Amino acid sequence: MSMQEITEADDGVKIVRATSAFDCGGRCPLRLHVKDNVIIKVEGDDTAGPETQLRACVRCRAYKHWVHHKDRVLYPMKRVGPKGKGEFERISWDEALDTVATKIKETKDKYGSQAIFFLAGGGYHGNLHGAGQIGKLLSMMGGFTTDYGNISSEGAVWAVMSTYGDVMVGHSREDFLNSKLILLWGWDPARMISGTNTMYHLIQAKEAGVKIISIGPRYDDTTSTLECEWIPVRPGTDTAMMVAMANIIIKNNLQDQAFLDKYTVGFDKFKDYVLGDEDGIEKTPQWAAEITGVPAERIEALAKEYATTDPACLMDCQGPARSAMGEQYNRCAIVLTAMTGNIGKNGGSAAGGLMGIPVGHMFRSPGIPGMKNPVEAGAPSIRGTLDLKLRVIRRVHKVKISDCLLEGKAGGYPADIKMVWSVSNNYVNQYGNANKASRALKQVDFMVSNEIFMTPTAKHADIVLPVTTPAEKSDITRPWPSGPYFTFINQAIEPLGECKSDLEIAYAMAERLGFNDFKQHENEEWLRLFCENNEQLAEHIKDFEKYKEEGVVRVKLDEPIVAFRKEIEDPENHPFKTPSGKIEIFSQRAADINQANVPPIPKYLSTAEDRFDPLYEKYPLQVLTPHGRNRVHSTLTNVEELAEVDPHRVWINPIDADPRGIKSEDDLFVWNDRGKIAIKAWVTERIVPGVLCIFQGTWYDPDDEGIDRGGCANTLTNDAYSGGGGAILNTLLVEAAKA
Amino acid sequence: MQMGFYFDQTRCTGCKACVVACKDWYDIPVGEATRIKILYQEQNKWPDVRVKYLTVTCYHCLDPVCADACPEDAMFKRDEDGIVDLDVEACVGIDECGGGCLKACPYDAPQFGTESNPKMWKCDLCVDRLSKGQQAICVESCPTRALDIAPLDELKAKYGEKEVVVARGRKLKEGDEFFYSSRTKPAVLINPKVTT
Repeated sequence: MSMQEITEADDGVKIVRATSAFDCGGRCPLRLHVKDNVIIKVEGDDTAGPETQLRACVRCRAYKHWVHHKDRVLYPMKRVGPKGKGEFERISWDEALDTVATKIKETKDKYGSQAIFFLAGGGYHGNLHGAGQIGKLLSMMGGFTTDYGNISSEGAVWAVMSTYGDVMVGHSREDFLNSKLILLWGWDPARMISGTNTMYHLIQAKEAGVKIISIGPRYDDTTSTLECEWIPVRPGTDTAMMVAMANIIIKNNLQDQAFLDKYTVGFDKFKDYVLGDEDGIEKTPQWAAEITGVPAERIEALAKEYATTDPACLMDCQGPARSAMGEQYNRCAIVLTAMTGNIGKNGGSAAGGLMGIPVGHMFRSPGIPGMKNPVEAGAPSIRGTLDLKLRVIRRVHKVKISDCLLEGKAGGYPADIKMVWSVSNNYVNQYGNANKASRALKQVDFMVSNEIFMTPTAKHADIVLPVTTPAEKSDITRPWPSGPYFTFINQAIEPLGECKSDLEIAYAMAERLGFNDFKQHENEEWLRLFCENNEQLAEHIKDFEKYKEEGVVRVKLDEPIVAFRKEIEDPENHPFKTPSGKIEIFSQRAADINQANVPPIPKYLSTAEDRFDPLYEKYPLQVLTPHGRNRVHSTLTNVEELAEVDPHRVWINPIDADPRGIKSEDDLFVWNDRGKIAIKAWVTERIVPGVLCIFQGTWYDPDDEGIDRGGCANTLTNDAYSGGGGAILNTLLVEAAKA
Repeated sequence: MQMGFYFDQTRCTGCKACVVACKDWYDIPVGEATRIKILYQEQNKWPDVRVKYLTVTCYHCLDPVCADACPEDAMFKRDEDGIVDLDVEACVGIDECGGGCLKACPYDAPQFGTESNPKMWKCDLCVDRLSKGQQAICVESCPTRALDIAPLDELKAKYGEKEVVVARGRKLKEGDEFFYSSRTKPAVLINPKVTT
């Protein structure tokens, strides 16, 4: 196979090396076969042998169907019906951009720049064509209000920042082979991938004899493939199980006290809590069994096994952290790794959910330089703070955008919003409480949205601007947390219809707004500059032309990356980036916040919409809302070729289905006080009784009675965040019945 | 030489990347007809549940009963590689002949589209790709490396032969364990997931 970026064959088919840039974070190398400006076929990575190829998953195998979907928004559109109905007519780019420019100026003049909300998400971006330059443009016009927080991982981020002071808590995947025991906690890489090849690495570990145990509410495909033991646990109770494990470790004196003494602060306070000296309740396995549904003996045995296996790898992923006390779960996982001395060594783990390694990490991506948002000038520094109150003085937490739009300053939010510019996100569908989001957007004076499809969010806009997919432009990308490699997107086709990239839209708007020097370089020049100036790209990409040609640069690691290796080997010269320089089991910064849901040590606390909430009588089913297997959040939902291999169904255990007379394929309603969805049932033994599973990402589609016929999980979820800023999309109660 | 299909049931996550990749490569539209399918099996009750996936293609049987059943002699087994192939010109369409090939096949390998009087098509082990030195598209696409296509003897030498259920005169359905048809002798090697 020729290692050219684009090879031409006799039949007029050219093969282009690229990747998709979906928010899955894979960035797997693809070879796109293109003829007459149409992607006709897809092949995967051929730059390595079968064992180490960066193999795409089911999603990108349908890439051409997404790029060439019949429902692509190809022209600028203007709303003609009521807001939210999705009735639009085609207009010219001139009219569209003039309208937006006028609205920016009018909003600023009448209400101030803070009345403009810039809503940008993870969408479909490489490093060049992101939403950033639209933000810069708005800053040059006076600024905007925007959101903070990461739906995926904010709870985990808070946990690692409070405990370690650092987000780089991952090991490279090869390190699994060094482990003697791997605990998969709320982690299903077979479905959500979690970094290309991760599942294959786990299979190889299993085949090499590494013992694996899976803990979670579902017998998921990772568990079924690895044929490992499944410990079913109720959603939102993971922290209780971990705290009870700590109890057993302490009672049997199995903790690595030397490690705790040398590298941590506050273990004694955690010990007081665990042994019941703090609140009079000892956190025994029996105590945890009532809460979690896991038998006490099993918790005890797991604790002993984890504490006496060296090295043992606790992989606490982020799903359980998307719950009402989510950061406590990741914090507690870190405490367990510290108690067992598994941090900073091969085969162990640092826990903390994020799994990122510092080579090619998404947080270190290059981009065209932006500009500080004038609206945020003078706000207190949030550097090193765990206090979310400081973060929401000028910004709005992502899950509170609806409340901000509806209540504004009267509700305690930074501004009264009169205009929304939405880029590369599907807020209505994905940020919690879809009905409220829809209500909120319907009453905003003006909304413009950059879109590939007429999504539930797009339907609420006044102007929709058609944007290109990654196939219609060149860019460079890097995978989310796990890698390490960088991919190059070579443009495969000319933009369809009149689509422009978000960057081109920024340029076109800049012209209209009178900023003549806004565009500083041509696209290719920017890509070269990124490779020269971004620290990690400059280190690993020595030959830009080769990078472009081959489509991928794989970073060779001499040894597996292990988080905090230096901090453990040489603590004198490499203290942890916390105020104490140590791993903070007790966090003074958290204590200073003085808030009940921000305990200074990891704790299990009951929350609203758990099984102890009086609401449980009315809504006796918990819900999990994991990632769909055949899409990326709400991207690819409309690709039939993917929908047919995994139809949207709610998982329900026969123990819950039988009394409700529910059989597989029955039409159901699932509802709570926030909304009601229509969805077909899949009765399965693979889920904890009392729990439903509704995969997120199908499109919100309310009928005339307000019933969401798309079965969107977020019609049911709460728009609230945890003490650490986690989106609590896995903490909710519902009822279900045949329709 | 007989080409064979290898499936490691212990590695398959049921993700269907192979199904979508095959449909992409051969421009097969949305619908039930597919060259490769994944069957699902769920065993036992909560919490002792077990799950298995089974990859089913045409297994290019040593004794292709489909060829015997075809009234038009449209199907034949290639000498050079044992692939069971179809002379599409000779196929008169299922409405005409009643689909004897599909009735005979224990694995429901023959496929028919939704057009009027559709002709049969099915997996051909990606002969075109193999002839160019490329892997079959399902093999190339599998994220957990659960598939392989090579001469059957090579597959046996590489992976070894595991015990499987042998049966005659049955149809493989969703929820079934794999069985080796002693009637048709499929050129397939499977590493079965053994569950209790």
